[in-house]
Order: sequence, then C-alpha cells, then structure tokens
Amino acid sequence: MKGRLRDLDIGATAFRALNIAILVFLLGPLAIVAVFAVNPLPYISFPPVGLTTRWFEKFFASEAFVNGLLLSLKIAVIVTIISGLLGAAAAIALARGRIPGAKLLISAFLAPLMLPAILTGFAIFQCLITLGIGRPIWALVVGHIIVAVPYVIRTTLAVLSDFDKRIEEAASLFGATPPRVFFEVTLPLIRPGVIAGCIFAFITSFDQFPVSLFLVSPGNETLPIVMFNYMKFDLDGALAAASMVSILISLAVVLTVDRLVGLRATMNL
Amino acid sequence: MTAVTQVGKGIKPEGRASRAIPATAWLVVPTGLFFVIFFVLPFALMALLSILSGNPLTQSNVGFTSRSYERFAADPLYLEALWETLWLGGLTTLAALLMGYPIALWLARMRSKTGYTLLLMAVVAPMLTGIVVRTFAWMTILSDKGVINVSLASLGLIDRPLPLMYNAFGTIVALVHIYVPFMVLTLAGVIGRIDHRLEEAAISLGANRFRAFLEVTLPLSLPGILAGSLLVFALTISAYVTPYLMGGSRVLTLPMLIYQQVSASFNIAFAATLGVVLLAVSLVLLMAYNRIISQVSGREDLA
Repeated sequence: MKGRLRDLDIGATAFRALNIAILVFLLGPLAIVAVFAVNPLPYISFPPVGLTTRWFEKFFASEAFVNGLLLSLKIAVIVTIISGLLGAAAAIALARGRIPGAKLLISAFLAPLMLPAILTGFAIFQCLITLGIGRPIWALVVGHIIVAVPYVIRTTLAVLSDFDKRIEEAASLFGATPPRVFFEVTLPLIRPGVIAGCIFAFITSFDQFPVSLFLVSPGNETLPIVMFNYMKFDLDGALAAASMVSILISLAVVLTVDRLVGLRATMNL
Repeated sequence: MTAVTQVGKGIKPEGRASRAIPATAWLVVPTGLFFVIFFVLPFALMALLSILSGNPLTQSNVGFTSRSYERFAADPLYLEALWETLWLGGLTTLAALLMGYPIALWLARMRSKTGYTLLLMAVVAPMLTGIVVRTFAWMTILSDKGVINVSLASLGLIDRPLPLMYNAFGTIVALVHIYVPFMVLTLAGVIGRIDHRLEEAAISLGANRFRAFLEVTLPLSLPGILAGSLLVFALTISAYVTPYLMGGSRVLTLPMLIYQQVSASFNIAFAATLGVVLLAVSLVLLMAYNRIISQVSGREDLA
C-alpha cells in the first residue's frame, strides 16, 4: 500500500511538472514579446538592457501602423454588431423554429470555422475580380462577418439548449403575446451567449489575417496585414509594441465586457 | 414539445406537436441569404473558374477545360507542395496532441472551480492573440539572435547559432503553439464526459493509476483525440503566415502557392484550382469531424 502511494505521488508530480512546462510553452512567448516592447536595443536581442517607451512612440508615430490600427478597430466594431444580430437571429431560429434539416444548417453555418479561412478570402476576392468590382472595404467587412458569425451562433445555441423551453411556454400560458415572450423572456436569457459570441467575433475580426490577405487594398490595410508586411523586412521593437497594443485592446474588450455584464456566466459554455 | 409562440391560435396539447413552422423560423433567412451570397456562391465560382478557360463576363469563347488540373498533376512542384502541406499538418497535429492531452486531462479532472477558471484562461489567452503576433513572438525566440540561441551562446554551450528558424522545425513549433488550444478545448470536452468512477473502479480493482488511465480513460477519449486531431490538421493545412515567416524559403505549402499564383503570376484560374484541391481535403476533414462530434455529444455545436 505504502509503495503504491509513493508511485502515485511520483506520477502526480511528473504529471504536474509536465503540465507546467506546457503552460510555460503556451504563455512564455507572450511574456517575451512584452519584454521586447520595452527593451531599448535597436534590434530584437536578448537579454533586455533597460526600459524604454521608444517603440510605442515609433508605433504611434507611424502612419501605416496607426491607420492600420484605426481601420482594424472600425471594421471589428461593424463586424461585431452585424455578426451579433445575424448570429443571434439564426441561433434562435435554429433552436426554436423547428426548421427541417436544422442540424445540417448548423453545420453549414459553422463550416467557416474549419474550412480554410484563406480560401474564404480568396473566393470573395475572385468574385470581385471576375465581376470587375475591385476591392472595396465592404468586401473586407463581409469576409470577416463570414468567419465571425459562427462564433455567435455557437455560443447562442449553447445557451439556448441549456435553458428550459418551458420558461417561454410558461410565459405564454400566463398570457404573454409571442413578441412579449421573445423580448422579455428569450432575449434576456440568451444575452450571455450572444455577448460571449460577440467577444469572439470582435477578436476574430480584429486579429484577422487569412481572410484579409486577399481582400485588403493598398492604403486600406488592417493592423495584422501592416505588421506582416513590416515583418518581411524588419524585426524591431516597433513590432513588439504593435503586438502589445493589439493584445491590450483584446484584453480591454474582454475586461470591459466582464465589468459591464460579467463573463463568469458566459465562460462556462 | 409544442411551440408556444403560436399561443394566439390556442395551445395544442402536449405530445401532438404541430407541423406548422413557427414565426421564429424566419429569423434564419437573413443569415442564410448572407451565407449563400458571400460564402456558398464564391466557393461555387471558385470551383467553376478552375475548369473554365477564361472570364465568362469579359471574354467570349470561354469553354470548359481541365488544363489547370493537368498542370497540377503534371508538375512535381505542386504535388510536392501538397505533400509538404499534409506532412507539416500531420507533424503539427501529432505534437499538438502530445502537448494538449495532459492539459486537457488536468482541465477535465480539475475539482476546484477557481483552478478550472484559471487554467481555462491560460489556455484561451493565446487565442486572444493574433497569429501574426504569435508568429512574431516565436521569431524573437528562435531566430539566430533570439532568446534561445543567445542564452545558449552566453552559457558557452554553442559556438554558432542553432538553425531553429527558417525551416520546418520552427514552422511546426509556432504552428503547435497556435493550434494547441483548439486541441485542448476539444479533448477536455470529451474527457469531461467520461465517468470519473470508471477509472476509480479500475484502481480499486488493483490497477495502478497509470494503467487505469491507459486502459480506461485513454480508449474512452479516442473520439476526442480524433476530433481534436482533425480540427488541428484542418487549421494547420490552411495556415499561411506562419509557414511563410518561419519557414523562410525552405517551406512551400498550398496556401503559399495560392497567394503566389495571384500576386506574382496573376493566374486566378490556377489559384482557384489549387483552392479546390485544398478545399476538397478540408471538406473531407470537416465531415469526419462533424460525424465524430455528433456521435460523442448528440450535438454538433461543440468544439
């Protein structure tokens, strides 16, 4: 008995050590970027020698970076709003509308998550070229919505399948009209799911690269595309600063939403 | 159960569900139309362009041709790119599985609520960071002047920088980092559904913990292993940024070829052909994935 206990302890310790090593692998790179963002050496090099804000200054002084950041933010906001509406509406219909073949429709709506995003961008791009339209910004927005809507549908469906349909039925038994049931029962109940989906939608759009690759046009480049073009030629602290800015914006969105509505309820999906 | 949204017309007795489709069903129309116009039709046009001899809107005499596919099959460059794409995907998937499984097991077996939330956040945090940022992070670690090479050199362990980047190794490391969270979340979902008591029963019957895991939990988590692997494989074979930046000139994958055909050769028809090949592989993976997930959960919205 004692021997087995010791075995167990060694196994458990090894398991924990392995897991901590994997967590370091997952989170370490992000910490290293944070170090490079404030390291004054001209090129990415190690070890860090001090603290500086010069890379953040360089980032905010660069027209390309700032324009990219503003465009990314603008697109992400529009994409989040439209995806939230489209995704929530579709999820309600799929969960409550008794649509024949709803299961198949759900897989179709979720398909952009697993099909190559670079092809989603390319497919829209070659439509525009074939029709002679060029590359308008709305096409970029449309491409982002295609890959953002599935998140809203998935999180809203998860909430809808969790809560009891009888709550809605009870409301109507007590005389609520269908619109009233919808606005006063269904909508408040699915809110956490829609909000969680909207966060994913925002981050998917804000960090989007593969869909944007074919759909950006010169002068209208999103932040990830500007960073990618920069990285082809140069690796300096400005990139680390750009990375930190984009990480902090994603984090700010998550924390603001958490403060406003509480994510605790939405994260346990 | 009866839809109550039709209450105005009177409630039908339970069990005799009406065949009529409630008004809420119409809410799917905008999203459906949006997907047809901007997702289904573009992909259909891509497939069509790959077998047309030109742009039917601007040229006359456009006919069907298989020349793009013949070109793909005849030139070893393209078949090698396809092979390299699949091979990188396979290795990345294997590494992601080996790294993702322990974390997923830990997550699924976590009893403390706070511990669960913290670990989940640690897994999801990298997903809140874009692929360009994460690829950049790995460049600062693996390049010749990166963290690893400089540290090893200052310890006197190496004279010349190790070739950690601009090859398949660096590409796979960064890809694994990007896609491990998807593996963990899929696996944890499946492992979490396995009855904990089965493993405990094996232990109480005299198996040690490792053997109980190997003979009870591991086989039962096989659907999760398959689903997670299919997902990571599908995501990896469509990656562009990471192979481009980490692979240098040594790695050439299908997505890179597609972009090259558009930006350098202006050959959209051939790019569409390469796109169809990539799409075909992905569709097979997607269907297999959906099948496994729906068997495990009876729901297809879990990933």
